Amino acid sequence: MSLLQRDREIIVANQYVDNFDFAEVEEFIKNANKELFISHKFKTHKDKTLVQPRGGFPTFDKMYSLYEQFAPVVDILPMTIDSHTRLNDYGSAAKMLRLSEETETDLLNGYPLINHGYRTTRKMVTHFNTPVSLRHGTPDARLLVEMAIASGVFEIEGGPITYILPYSKNFPQDKAFLYWKHVERVCAQYSTLNEPINRESFGPLTATLVPPCITIVIQICEMLLSLEEGVKSFSVSFAQTGSLNQDLVTSKVLRKAANKYAEKIGVTDATINLVYHQWMGAFPRDKFKSDSLIDIGAMIAGMVKADKIITKTRAEAFGIPTKEDNAQAVSNVQYTLNALRGIPTFVDEEEEENLSREVDEIFEAIFNDSADTLWRKVFNSIKNGIIDVPFSPHIINNNELITVRDKNSNIRIYKKGKLPLSDKSFKYEQSKIDLGENPNSVVNQIIHDIGVML
Amino acid sequence: MKVVTGVVGNDIHVVANRLIDISLQSRGYEVFNLGVNTYLEEFIDAVIETDAKVLLISSLNGEAEGWCRDLMILKDKYNLKDVVFVIGGNLSVGEGDESLIVPKFKEYGFDLVFHQIDLMEGLNILDNHMQGYLI
Repeated sequence: MSLLQRDREIIVANQYVDNFDFAEVEEFIKNANKELFISHKFKTHKDKTLVQPRGGFPTFDKMYSLYEQFAPVVDILPMTIDSHTRLNDYGSAAKMLRLSEETETDLLNGYPLINHGYRTTRKMVTHFNTPVSLRHGTPDARLLVEMAIASGVFEIEGGPITYILPYSKNFPQDKAFLYWKHVERVCAQYSTLNEPINRESFGPLTATLVPPCITIVIQICEMLLSLEEGVKSFSVSFAQTGSLNQDLVTSKVLRKAANKYAEKIGVTDATINLVYHQWMGAFPRDKFKSDSLIDIGAMIAGMVKADKIITKTRAEAFGIPTKEDNAQAVSNVQYTLNALRGIPTFVDEEEEENLSREVDEIFEAIFNDSADTLWRKVFNSIKNGIIDVPFSPHIINNNELITVRDKNSNIRIYKKGKLPLSDKSFKYEQSKIDLGENPNSVVNQIIHDIGVML
Repeated sequence: MKVVTGVVGNDIHVVANRLIDISLQSRGYEVFNLGVNTYLEEFIDAVIETDAKVLLISSLNGEAEGWCRDLMILKDKYNLKDVVFVIGGNLSVGEGDESLIVPKFKEYGFDLVFHQIDLMEGLNILDNHMQGYLI
């Protein structure tokens, strides 16, 4: 038995898991309908931006009726996992699930997949016969991912950086790299049985003034760590920045750089997809303005020819949306995308050149780190501030990078901290910023820029 | 002048925490930011370790009161009477009445209490308060 398989058997030998049958799961994946694989859907819908909402409820019945509501309008179904499960606290999840069932109120903010088990969940997934995407935020997702794939959920979101730096204060970053390395290997192994399992990185990060060069570098780091282990289908992603031009530029540089760096580590046979998140920052409390913001997001997804868009709803400012709100939002996005077919692309060479150079400069520093493996190089780069995420709560984050918006709403680097940007790149960023003389103006500007869509 | 700051309790409002950090720095303070999810004991440890003149605790989710009741005991125990204790943010769940909240937190041992007050305004008051101290 391989070391990996031995680890997997230990992981599924959990008191909350009822007899995990690896041989049966393998048979199921081998014979699974291709319609369940998003990697297959990407191949067969090359010219369409696939639409995926967000959503997850505690009980099987509510999850089932959410999928029933979604089925006619969505291309990809979401499976958002509750926060107890994300922290591997399956006991609390079990208790809250039981209470939710008894009282018919939602006492969990997502679907507790471990407690429902893969046999039950698989019945729902195969019934709808549409790809399902696992959305969670789990630092140690080794058991969750086994359960998801066994259920027929063939897209796994997350990664060792994007599920740690925005979400956790002190989960050890090095452990996260190793746990996710295990997840990549499981995904890679299952990918040989049928269509590939798709991995997706979480590009929005803190969704608060993250400059595109940081988003792109982190997306590509997670992609490389995944491809290194044998994953054959990967989605890089980013969220609406608040500047149309910056979104267009980001999408181009991200696509180009992802392919370039995949080649650099010798991977040429993997499919790389682009995913666009509608605005992830604070939403207006006016539902009509929200609709407008969502329309702009759909339009930009069309312009950047995203392979998938993940949607928001007009209820965003008011809490968890109802399934009706959610289905309505998807239907509107489908309408907008359809109306925009054949939209031309725009080019801003100066911006593209500068962003590409910034990404290359940061990668040069990462690759030059003296560690012997890529994950250690990336780990060291986070530790020493070469990678710095604005507004990350994590103690490892350097927190010296400060960004503000310029007059066209582009996110610019005001203080570069330890980012290894050349004078040329940094001067370009600085040349766009105009703050005046008031010493309070940076903070006031940041407060204004965070609430830019309110 | 050294300041220890952070968000108390199970509160993850990182944006406000970073803004306080940046603002204090731009006013010339030397900032030791413990970040979000910080317990009262950790704040006291940091004040002793850094020999800070100011402890600025923030709380956004309204749970501050439960965490700060033991402040007087800790102040006595570690002889911290020369340290200026400041708390600010949303100091109650819901709207809250400032005329009741401020005296309550002063009784807990805070020198300056800012309930739902603009960040710059609060820091101006802190600056004035600290002018009497030798740096």
